[in-house]
Amino acid sequence: MICESCGAPVGADLDCFAALGLPRKLVLDPAALERAYHELSRRIHPDRFAQASARARDASLRSTALLTRSYRTLRDPVARGLYWLELRGEKLAENNKSVPSELAELVFEVQDELAELRGARGSEIQALRDRTVARRGELESAMNDLRERLARNFERWDNADHDAKGLVADLKAILSQIAYLRTLIRDVDRELENLKAA
Amino acid sequence: MSYSDKVLDHYNNPRNVGSFAKDDPNVGTGVVGAPECGDVMKLQLKINDSGVIEDARFKTFGCGSAIASSSYVTELVKGKHIDEAMAIKNTLIVKELNLPPVKIHCSVLAEDAIKAAISDWKKHKDGAEEPQAARAQEK
Repeated sequence: MICESCGAPVGADLDCFAALGLPRKLVLDPAALERAYHELSRRIHPDRFAQASARARDASLRSTALLTRSYRTLRDPVARGLYWLELRGEKLAENNKSVPSELAELVFEVQDELAELRGARGSEIQALRDRTVARRGELESAMNDLRERLARNFERWDNADHDAKGLVADLKAILSQIAYLRTLIRDVDRELENLKAA
Repeated sequence: MSYSDKVLDHYNNPRNVGSFAKDDPNVGTGVVGAPECGDVMKLQLKINDSGVIEDARFKTFGCGSAIASSSYVTELVKGKHIDEAMAIKNTLIVKELNLPPVKIHCSVLAEDAIKAAISDWKKHKDGAEEPQAARAQEK
């Protein structure tokens, strides 16, 4: 990201890990990531190159954009996992259309409950609302379980000598379930918001 | 992004929303998902003994294009033999609904849902061992 000899920003085509000067590892220390980001952004900040050559100014802008994008990608474990698939030339949706039946059941059950809540009138609203709030808690804890599974998958990647194919499949399964759950939680929240607004 | 009139029509007045009883031996159920966006689609087909699709229901939780694609598909498959329905390509759905490139995956999802539902029906019929999920994976 920074030229060793002159201190100017370089290399706008680095991958996200290299851009932040971090090893290509999935388990990363959030504090170290934060530090690397702030330290580098300070050093390549466009303000510092305001008087420099057009080329240096351009490099500073492009490197800053890359740095910010890399930081945002790596900061969020889900985005980091998706990026990891991308680095390996894998596509999340490829051979991955089936929804685990338990999760599918849950989606349809909760969506039916939301439809009931939408249609509720008068005195029944409160009980249905409470049920949905309780659901929200269940879904949140299911999401936490998935995030823990994701963290364990990351550790297994970093401990190398595993069958990468199995790890890819596992990573794809976890990220997909997170996506389905996230959409469901979004719909639940939207419904609860509508209720508040009403 | 603006939706085509046909998408809006299917989205605002979706056809054949709902469910059939899952354990009805004439009903095939296909559940598929788009992991990029978290959309989930369920398509159920009521198929008679000669393999003709008599009725269809869907429930889709996702974007307007996913809902429109599944709604359109329920109309499209009614009266068709399963062999004809299996041959339906997502490109037909794209063309018919005028889906933009970023929404093509919604039509793929609908195509996959048809195939998954028919496979599920066949599974009840022949008592085949192969689970529906494994078939969906072959795609």
